[in-house]
Amino acid sequence: MKKLNVFKKSIIIFCISQIVIFLIIFILFDFIPVAKESKEVSKMVQARGMSSSYKVSKKISKLIGTIRINEHHEAYLQNALKLSKIDSISLLIDLSDSLAILSLKGISIFKSKISKIEINKGLKKLPYFLRDSLYSGPLQATENLSSIEKFPIVIKKPSRDTSAVDETEAAPTIPKQNDVYLLMALDNNMAIEINQQEDSLVGNKSVYKKYRRKYRRWFLSKNIESVFSPNQHGYTYHLAIEIPREDAGSIYRALPIKPFILIRY
Amino acid sequence: MEKLKKKNILLILLALIFTMGAILLYLTKSQELKEIAISFYDFRNAHGALAQKDSAQLTKQIKETEERISLLQKKINNLTPYGPYLIINTTKNTFVLRTRRSIIREGICSTGSYILLDAGNGKQWIFKTPKGQLHILGKKTNPVWIKPDWAFIEEDLPVPSIGDPERREPGSLGDYALILGDGYMIHGTLYQRFLGLPVTHGCIRMGDKDLKIVYHNMSIGSKVFIF
Repeated sequence: MKKLNVFKKSIIIFCISQIVIFLIIFILFDFIPVAKESKEVSKMVQARGMSSSYKVSKKISKLIGTIRINEHHEAYLQNALKLSKIDSISLLIDLSDSLAILSLKGISIFKSKISKIEINKGLKKLPYFLRDSLYSGPLQATENLSSIEKFPIVIKKPSRDTSAVDETEAAPTIPKQNDVYLLMALDNNMAIEINQQEDSLVGNKSVYKKYRRKYRRWFLSKNIESVFSPNQHGYTYHLAIEIPREDAGSIYRALPIKPFILIRY
Repeated sequence: MEKLKKKNILLILLALIFTMGAILLYLTKSQELKEIAISFYDFRNAHGALAQKDSAQLTKQIKETEERISLLQKKINNLTPYGPYLIINTTKNTFVLRTRRSIIREGICSTGSYILLDAGNGKQWIFKTPKGQLHILGKKTNPVWIKPDWAFIEEDLPVPSIGDPERREPGSLGDYALILGDGYMIHGTLYQRFLGLPVTHGCIRMGDKDLKIVYHNMSIGSKVFIF
């Protein structure tokens, strides 16, 4: 009987210790960094003198909303014009029209319909002027994670059995299909995810799992940095879109390693 | 007694392993947990200076922004060429020949295979189609392929000297060729069944009918966008 009590006690102690550990981690790695970020945002709100709010009628509020949307659209177009002066391909994400667009020299060379948009809570909650400053850019991607290679290079040694010789006889080999998942970290503490809309995987599952591991590790390192590095933001603003697999592949391979991205909400 | 001690140590070890695993799990799920944490905060979204304006002033401001938007939109639209231009997608191996207003022709093509040919002795070639904005620099009918060094090295054959007739290969580029510079061309192919696949040495291969239409619509200076 006494033995059973000791066992029960140990289980209770174990469970309580697990809860305490969870709470400590939550406070240390999640709550405190988010509080730090929120403090920063509040400071910026105050600096803009927006802490005192006027009460306005519904009509005025609607008009103000339209002005903000228009101003944001204007900033988006101005930046698109700026991007037309560079030689590399840039990505325009138009959330308003649900389009992901590749643009080169101001010309839309590829468009893909966005089937799903996910915006994390922090990004949704941001005051409009901060959201606008996050979105309007042009923003540059500083890091990329992806489930496919940017340049699918195959090394070949000279041989008499060449593809040129093969071409006359061999049946064409259809390139392997790959699942496309991408994460691009921007220079303004924002991450953009482009995922294939197809749920079923066509490629190797291990490749997908490898990407998911890289993805988790990236967020983990950001979270740890946010605790120990004073310059690191405590919260990553995050936007995820879904487009067809082939389109996502085309977009990723078309973009340079550090592409410019423009977003319109 | 000894057995009980061992059992206890084992249990403590198991608990420690479980705890370590749980810590790692919490940390990897930190992004989701941060979403819970951010729920506790709310940021003020005040109207600012705009709130002091009346509806007439605001409507005027809306009109002004709309005018500026339409002006910018016009500027951007004017960047698109009036005449025909070609867009090549090297991932899907497709092309679109179009003008500002409409699509003239679209279909499949073949682009660079991304094969890296390593000839040893430090010589390497990557068979990729260049990306970006290019122009048609020249047009040819019944083009003759002047085989570059890699075409011989690839087949492990001795490389003939420049100008050697062995380098000339008529007929393999189809009826037309549009020159893009640096040895790259848009041309036809003997291997029509490979169209839609990345099999070329960097040039863009098209089917006979598509090539004819592209050739007749594109003039020297026309833009080619490759991505």
